[in-house]
Amino acid sequence: MKTWQQLKKYPKLWRKHFIREEIIKTIRQFFYKRNFHEVETPTLLPALIPESYLDVFSTDLLLKDGLSKRLFLATSPESSIKKLLVAGIGNCFTLCKSFRNSETSPYHNSEFTMLEWYRVQTDYQQIMRDCEELLVSIYRKVKMLTVNGKPKSEENHKDRLEYQGQFIDLTIPWIRMTVSSALNKYSAVDLKQLCEIKNNQVVYPRGKIAAIAKSKGYEIKLTDSWEEIFHQIFFNEIEPELRKFSRPVILYDYPKPLSALAKLNKRNPLVAERFEFYIAGLELGDCYSELTDYQEQSRRSDEELKKIKKSDKSGIIPDEDFIEAIKSGLPVCSGIAVGVDRLVMLFTNSKTIQEVLFFPQSEF
Amino acid sequence: MSKITASNFYKGLVIEFRNEPSQIVDSQFYNPGKGSAVVRVKLKNLKTGRVLDFTFKSQETAQEISVDTHEMQYLYSQNDLFVFMNPKTYEQISIVSEIIGDFTRMLKEGEVYQIMLIDGQPVGFRKPKKVTLKVVEADESAVKGNTQGGAKKTVILESGLSVAVPLFIKTGDTITVDVDSGEYVERAGQK
Repeated sequence: MKTWQQLKKYPKLWRKHFIREEIIKTIRQFFYKRNFHEVETPTLLPALIPESYLDVFSTDLLLKDGLSKRLFLATSPESSIKKLLVAGIGNCFTLCKSFRNSETSPYHNSEFTMLEWYRVQTDYQQIMRDCEELLVSIYRKVKMLTVNGKPKSEENHKDRLEYQGQFIDLTIPWIRMTVSSALNKYSAVDLKQLCEIKNNQVVYPRGKIAAIAKSKGYEIKLTDSWEEIFHQIFFNEIEPELRKFSRPVILYDYPKPLSALAKLNKRNPLVAERFEFYIAGLELGDCYSELTDYQEQSRRSDEELKKIKKSDKSGIIPDEDFIEAIKSGLPVCSGIAVGVDRLVMLFTNSKTIQEVLFFPQSEF
Repeated sequence: MSKITASNFYKGLVIEFRNEPSQIVDSQFYNPGKGSAVVRVKLKNLKTGRVLDFTFKSQETAQEISVDTHEMQYLYSQNDLFVFMNPKTYEQISIVSEIIGDFTRMLKEGEVYQIMLIDGQPVGFRKPKKVTLKVVEADESAVKGNTQGGAKKTVILESGLSVAVPLFIKTGDTITVDVDSGEYVERAGQK
């Protein structure tokens, strides 16, 4: 049965979707209150920031004389928003549809709703606080809905959320943990073991992490990249531990190879200013203190393009206008992307992303 | 035997994982926000019955293991071993309780079950979809009173399993039991 048919037959099922509606409203109010501009970004784009691990959707725009021009569905609003930041919009947010061409899973739908917000003249620390406050605001709003506005005695004093049998205490501040300490604690790996200094620069040779992964029993091929090896260790050893926390966890300061578009941390050159936050094992958001150096951005873009050309992925057109914009001066800023569908999963205690969509791809 | 890429894993597939035959119980493709896709699987070690989570790189390969399924008749149990016989060849094999799991309490002597073998070694037991067992011991003195509240009594079945049943069940009746929980479902036959 399609979702619309289920809704017709069992009106109780509307509840999740009405909670979704409230979450969207709360997000908008949260940012309006803080004087953010709401911007609309295009879904169809003539070029993309190259990201080798993403598969994209492309289509053809019909022109005169039977000619056509290739266009892409946005994988995120990032390039558009950054151009607006260059133009001088200041603090802003968008709620938009983004598209990634990959298999569906309980956590993925190829078309999904993304919330991005950017703050100028600040770094990722401020965005961490935004995340904490935003989620508590949403929680309180959703709770009012579920108990019809009547506070339920003592339970009401604690911001305690139930997700899939696990109770999560959203009380601020959340747990903050560096990637380096997580690696140490759960994988017995010292970040310093993974890098070396070369020409006054910190580098992470692939051989070092490959040797550690092999000693842990992982099968490593020559074609496995640094990032793939790291993620295998991360998903097997660290992420399962993050699931056990009964509070949200902000994992921050990622090793350089995992955050090429983030600013390096001034106090610790081994890492860049990036964080992700996890609640009950759900990966909800990814934030950078944005890289403002256009040369680095351009070099990175070329590198990703090379990787894409090597793979069997369909060709993309790199967004040169984006590099041009960064060159003309991206203000100091920090931004985050949050998966709205996953937020709805969390607040409606839904096991799969399909349950919170009217038209999930699994029904196509 | 052939190699299979992690992105092509499916439920039920048996692979060699850290030198042990392991069956994929669940497999999910996962794309981290920034990074290459991984495949997150639940693997059941067919020798120990232990289930563990493991994340493969999506391009990682594993050795596929072919599994034969044989119909075998359950004969008897001795200590912690359960003895089955191939009705065609009369060949007998002993299976440790870990492989059969909770179902050991529902095994019926003489009944034919499906056993999974790798190179002749038992590695798995396929639970039947439905189990009917005869009541061998029931307290007949339990009186039919107010059954609206669902009054129950405990009976012992031919496999040795004791189960709570409604008062009308008598010794010699056969009942259907839930394969997973071991609970009473319905009366299948009357004495």
